[in-house]
Amino acid sequence: MALTKVYDAVTVFKHLNGILNVYKPAGMKAKHVRNAILSNICKGLNEMKQRELRKLPKDTPLLGTGTAADSVLHNIANNEDLSDNILSVGPRYLPRDIRCATVSSLGDHTSGVLLFGINKGIGQSGCLRKNQLVRVYHITGCMGTATENHLPDSHVTVRSNYRHVSADRISGLAASMQASHQRKMFELCGVDLQTQEAYELACKGLIRPSDDSQPVIYGIKLIRLEGPYFTLELHGINETQEYLAALVHDMALELRTVAHCSQLRCVRHAHFDVRDSLLRHGWHLPGIMKNLRQQRDILREHPELLRQERVELHA
Amino acid sequence: MFCSAIRKILVNSQNAAKFSVISTQLRYLRGQRSALSEIDVLHPTDISTKQDDKELAAETAARKSYEEVALDFGSREAHVPSFNLAAYANSSNTLQQFVKLGVNLHSIERRKGLGEFVLRLDFEKNVKPYISFLADQGVSADDFGRMFTKNPLLFKEDLDDLQTRVEYLKSKRFSEEARQRIFTQNPYWLMFSTRRVDRRLGYFQKEFRLSGHDLRLLATREPNVITYNMEHLRKSVFTLKEEMGFNAKELSALIVRKPRLMMIPPDDLIERFSYIHQDMGLSHAQIVQCPELLASREFRLRERHEFLKLLGRAQYDPQKDLYISPKTIVEGNNFYFVRNVAKSDLKTFDLFLKTR
Repeated sequence: MALTKVYDAVTVFKHLNGILNVYKPAGMKAKHVRNAILSNICKGLNEMKQRELRKLPKDTPLLGTGTAADSVLHNIANNEDLSDNILSVGPRYLPRDIRCATVSSLGDHTSGVLLFGINKGIGQSGCLRKNQLVRVYHITGCMGTATENHLPDSHVTVRSNYRHVSADRISGLAASMQASHQRKMFELCGVDLQTQEAYELACKGLIRPSDDSQPVIYGIKLIRLEGPYFTLELHGINETQEYLAALVHDMALELRTVAHCSQLRCVRHAHFDVRDSLLRHGWHLPGIMKNLRQQRDILREHPELLRQERVELHA
Repeated sequence: MFCSAIRKILVNSQNAAKFSVISTQLRYLRGQRSALSEIDVLHPTDISTKQDDKELAAETAARKSYEEVALDFGSREAHVPSFNLAAYANSSNTLQQFVKLGVNLHSIERRKGLGEFVLRLDFEKNVKPYISFLADQGVSADDFGRMFTKNPLLFKEDLDDLQTRVEYLKSKRFSEEARQRIFTQNPYWLMFSTRRVDRRLGYFQKEFRLSGHDLRLLATREPNVITYNMEHLRKSVFTLKEEMGFNAKELSALIVRKPRLMMIPPDDLIERFSYIHQDMGLSHAQIVQCPELLASREFRLRERHEFLKLLGRAQYDPQKDLYISPKTIVEGNNFYFVRNVAKSDLKTFDLFLKTR
């Protein structure tokens, strides 16, 4: 079928379904991102061609004074229902007309991939949430100062020296933490460790937790170290911003120094990559529609994202 | 003895009949009041206690007319209660004229009491004189819709008062174009009494030691500042003066160039200022030179400044090479900025934004 340009708001709204991959800027609440997206969608829809005005029913009582100059009668002769006019009832599309749900929320200081289910995509977003998909973070820690909540915007509590910290020591610590987290993973899978079932699970490799109560970390890796800053790549499920910040703090204590988390960035959520995510200047209707289409292709390529049968990790 | 007892009972029953007539009439009147329709008051039925059959006839007549009122919906169609103005748009001439002018009825009805007020207006009597008055002041017809949407209460003001307020502006030597701009940009201006506007203008003149010309420029550039919440204005002026430390001369220059700064929440303003002054390293004098910096949102400044820094082009000192004017940073959309100021391409900028 040939591609045609769409000018009609109804058609666009009909196709406004699916998963949306948005790049959430740091320092902006996930709720505000959602509101901005929804209001931009509505703005776009309201600027497009709207449906025709409703016609008046035939037997409407005439309420005008009956003179020729009376515009009430003119309008009725025109047979247009003025109560359906955009000026009198308001815009056709309001943010509350669009259903929207986040797959998993990010904290205020976290930037990166944020997935929304829009309209009929809400079902898909629920599946994604239930399936406990792995998220990959790039976490930058700043050594030398510790802050109250381990994030850069609060009071500095401790300062210390960090000259003795080398890449080898961070990598070694990361590896040992990864090992201990993987032990915890088997404890959280909901199977008694002293059974044949647990043994079979362990043979399969990494497994995902049974519920979303406890954070599980599958891999920590140092990817960059310069000056006071070091960047870790971290794969995990059920993690929160506070948990990750505390993790950086604990790591620094192990390294005989202190640190706070200067940047948290979610670079991947299952197969939804930061490369496809929609930046703030792309949050308009055409960009959103394009992004929905891209994410639909990703979902089609990886049907296991929605229908998860195996307990072991593969995404 | 027995006869007198019977007579008593008879009198009692007659009294009862009289009361029943009165009560039906009362019920009728009450029904009429709740209906709020323009039906003339029913002539009082004569209450006779002389003959029973006459009484009965009057009673049935009253009941009949009462039933008629209860079933008569014909002329009350337009007065059925509704949650919005749209329900009346088909039957009210005023609302139809408003729609033609481009007034957003849905945003009027959201404010308390305004829907009812607008509905009570008569277009010929209450609206037309104001439109011709505004047209005489040079307000163009395209702006009427926006103005009345914002401030429908203008129709409550007396036309003579409005004329006085215009004369006041004339006496303060506001030019024709200035007045036209003021009325168009700020539909609330005409609601303010001459004394109040005078006090406000006096405040600005005294606070920033403005000349008459500068004050007129300020009021024309951003008419909304003059009628803005005074509490908020005082707070912003405090922020600008004490927290940011602009001196009196710089402050007046800043205010005249960008009066909108006073309407921005002070917390946002101080955040922007601290970024510009501390992270970008611009002096007060440079900020006064381009007040657009303070008017732009902080994330925008941050993104663009950090991108320039990454490219090694964040050089805001006009004495040195490769100078980038701070004004150009906040101009235009991202595409314009990336191509003309950063001399890079949008893909790089996108990649950069995704690392933050």
